[in-house]
Amino acid sequence: MSTRRSFLKTLAGTAALCLSPVRELAAFTLGESDPASFSVVRGANPEAAARKAVELIGGMKSFVSTGDVVFIKPNISWDKKPEQAATTNPRVVEAVVRMVKEAGAKEIIVADNTCNDARRTYKRSGIREAAERAGAEVPFVEKRKFVQRNLGGEVITTWEVYQKAIEADKIINLPIAKHHGLSSVTLSMKNLMGLIGGRRDLLHQKLPQSIVDLTAYFKPALTILDAVRILKANGPQGSTLNDVEKLDLIAASPDPVRIDAFGITLFGESVKSNNPLDYPHIEMARKRGLGRADYRNGGYIEVNLG
Amino acid sequence: MKNLRRLSQILFLILFLILFIQTEYKGNDQLGLPVKLFLDFDPLIALSALLAAHTVRVIFLLSLITILLTVLLGRVFCGWICPLGTLNTFFSYFKMRSAGPKADGAPFAPLRRIKYFILIFILVAALLGWNSAGFLDPISLTIRSLALGYNPAANLMVRSAFEFIVSLGIPGLSSSLDSLYSSLTGVILAFEQPVFRQMIPIALIFTAILALNFLSPRFWCRYLCPLGALLGLLGTKQPLARVDVNDKKCIACRRCNQACQGEATPFPAGKWASRECLACFNCRDICPAAAVSIHPTREKTGRGNVDLQRRWLLACGLGAVVSVPLVKLGGGPQRQNPELIRPPGALGEDEFLRTCVKCGECMKVCLTNGLQPTFAQAGLEGFWTPLLVPRLGYCEYNCNLCSQVCPTGAIQKITLEEKQNIRIGLAMFDRNRCIPYALGRNCGVCEEHCPAPGKAIKFHEEEARDERGEKFTLKKPFVDPHLCIGCGICENKCPFVDIPAVRVTSINESRGEYKLYL
Repeated sequence: MSTRRSFLKTLAGTAALCLSPVRELAAFTLGESDPASFSVVRGANPEAAARKAVELIGGMKSFVSTGDVVFIKPNISWDKKPEQAATTNPRVVEAVVRMVKEAGAKEIIVADNTCNDARRTYKRSGIREAAERAGAEVPFVEKRKFVQRNLGGEVITTWEVYQKAIEADKIINLPIAKHHGLSSVTLSMKNLMGLIGGRRDLLHQKLPQSIVDLTAYFKPALTILDAVRILKANGPQGSTLNDVEKLDLIAASPDPVRIDAFGITLFGESVKSNNPLDYPHIEMARKRGLGRADYRNGGYIEVNLG
Repeated sequence: MKNLRRLSQILFLILFLILFIQTEYKGNDQLGLPVKLFLDFDPLIALSALLAAHTVRVIFLLSLITILLTVLLGRVFCGWICPLGTLNTFFSYFKMRSAGPKADGAPFAPLRRIKYFILIFILVAALLGWNSAGFLDPISLTIRSLALGYNPAANLMVRSAFEFIVSLGIPGLSSSLDSLYSSLTGVILAFEQPVFRQMIPIALIFTAILALNFLSPRFWCRYLCPLGALLGLLGTKQPLARVDVNDKKCIACRRCNQACQGEATPFPAGKWASRECLACFNCRDICPAAAVSIHPTREKTGRGNVDLQRRWLLACGLGAVVSVPLVKLGGGPQRQNPELIRPPGALGEDEFLRTCVKCGECMKVCLTNGLQPTFAQAGLEGFWTPLLVPRLGYCEYNCNLCSQVCPTGAIQKITLEEKQNIRIGLAMFDRNRCIPYALGRNCGVCEEHCPAPGKAIKFHEEEARDERGEKFTLKKPFVDPHLCIGCGICENKCPFVDIPAVRVTSINESRGEYKLYL
């Protein structure tokens, strides 16, 4: 049960955490009786942080059932190295694949419809190697593996969808927090673009509506935000390491809107607004009942692993 | 000896095909395998680059091995190694079997000198600055024809067959074929279906060369091949392996002439033509009287070499003298052709034209299929040299594969860091088409994809209203010429798929004088 006191405590704590350069801050935890549905974990070890973040919202078993086919969608779009923060951190991908495997998944697929040549991005991001090591299948997204589906969205109606993603029992979205030239930030909802084919370039004209449509259609069971390093300028692929900031942070929630709302707050001065509701896709997603923008309310937990 | 020769031919052909298939990105920034090996051993490639561009590269030393081998043993390269020679041997099989005894009266025998005329033309033209060797050099020709013509066609056929069978949905078979298909893709099958401009004429020329074997065995090798001519001349003496027919033992059955891969006329004794001999050993093997021997000797065992006819040689040389200026002027660009975007690392245009042998290695290896053969963009002289067509494929920022495979250094070997600082062209927007300018909607696909540090495509932001009258920030892209390297990804990804709203042209390229910015 969230009380006003605990809320204020958390608020003050995070504010202090955001402002203070000192990392050894007390962890704020909720009572046993109050299971969190949104976790934020700071820690120098990305695997441990990812593990803790999932554990705090009930563990992987509450999202993946024994025998499930699980599709994990990291961002593998760009031909960049992990330290350039244009693609999801491979250590986070590896940790998530392992957790899904431990939860009893029958089959784990890690894939993305990339922007640069997939042969290069799968390799250079380190994701193929990491995911395969942890026991996932990492296929290239072949053009012939798309099927036409009616997504029933506002902008996206009949569209090409990656077959393996819709055949999976669960989709776990694994975005990295990045600046984006057009939409200011790209977080979990935009990451789902990698599950569709066709003329994705046209969706830029109505980007917020499009990514809300994708979120409504794919309904990821769990979203884990990689903010180990975030890209604060020249996104979504970045240019030099000056654009990258190391935050050592992972957030996890079954609510993609909350993840995106929280993600915006990580960018500080480098975006025009840190208020989630100033971002059209969050406002639209909230209105369509896909999740909440007030990410702090309703079981929020923050832990610092040091 | 025949079986040994066949084994050698097959092994070298397999090596050639392996290197050919490996001329593709296989997951490492460095190709690893010496995919241009056959070109490195080709003395005609080295000689023409040497004459035309006065370039000497260390790698050219490898062709000295071929030269040495030829001087001592004759055209062993043609008979035992050359992949085109092997293909010709294969397609000559039926003609060879059906050949009647025609010894001296071979209908095409006078054509043997054509290859020497072609060679003289190539060498004189090269000396005058036109490198035309690559059009007819057998290695260059074979790689280009396979890469640009046969390989795309073969890929399409195999893919269609797979897709058809998979689509039938036969239980068991379809799913296993489907996974076989996926696992062959990028390994033996190309990762993406390759497409090349002019693939039909390029494939047809090669098909015609193979078909000529039905007129006369190894037609190309006997009558047309300029490399064969060069090696023939080098191997005139071949003191370590000369065909020697013993007149006393010879029963004049003429089987040696029928079995001859070249047209070296071992019969009648003393008429053997060393320059035409492909060292196939067929004459010795087939002789029922054991009259033919092949052994080291300094004696002139055969005096049957074709008279090269000095007047014709002279005429061909003169032909080259006349045609070089015509080729250089005729259809040559007076001004920079906007479409002529050369791969990064390409030499200055004049040097590039003198050095490039049009082998197609760079086009085969290009990650995005963007490198295409020129038609008229570089003038007659530059026919079939590489240019980047951003609409078809962009230049991948972290890739320098084309610079790794160029046999002559027309595309210099450059590091990734060097490559990322070479401008090959400049992008410019067509504001009449660009979506934010023309339609008042956001797009930004070009900006998203721009790989240049600091982004060569930036936005002017302004407040606008959408169809429903709601305010939003309209982002209008523009190019920063200081940062744009002309890679063409913006043009490639522009949603205006017919005439792109942002286009790269060759202006402002690093290597030329066609600067735009001071």
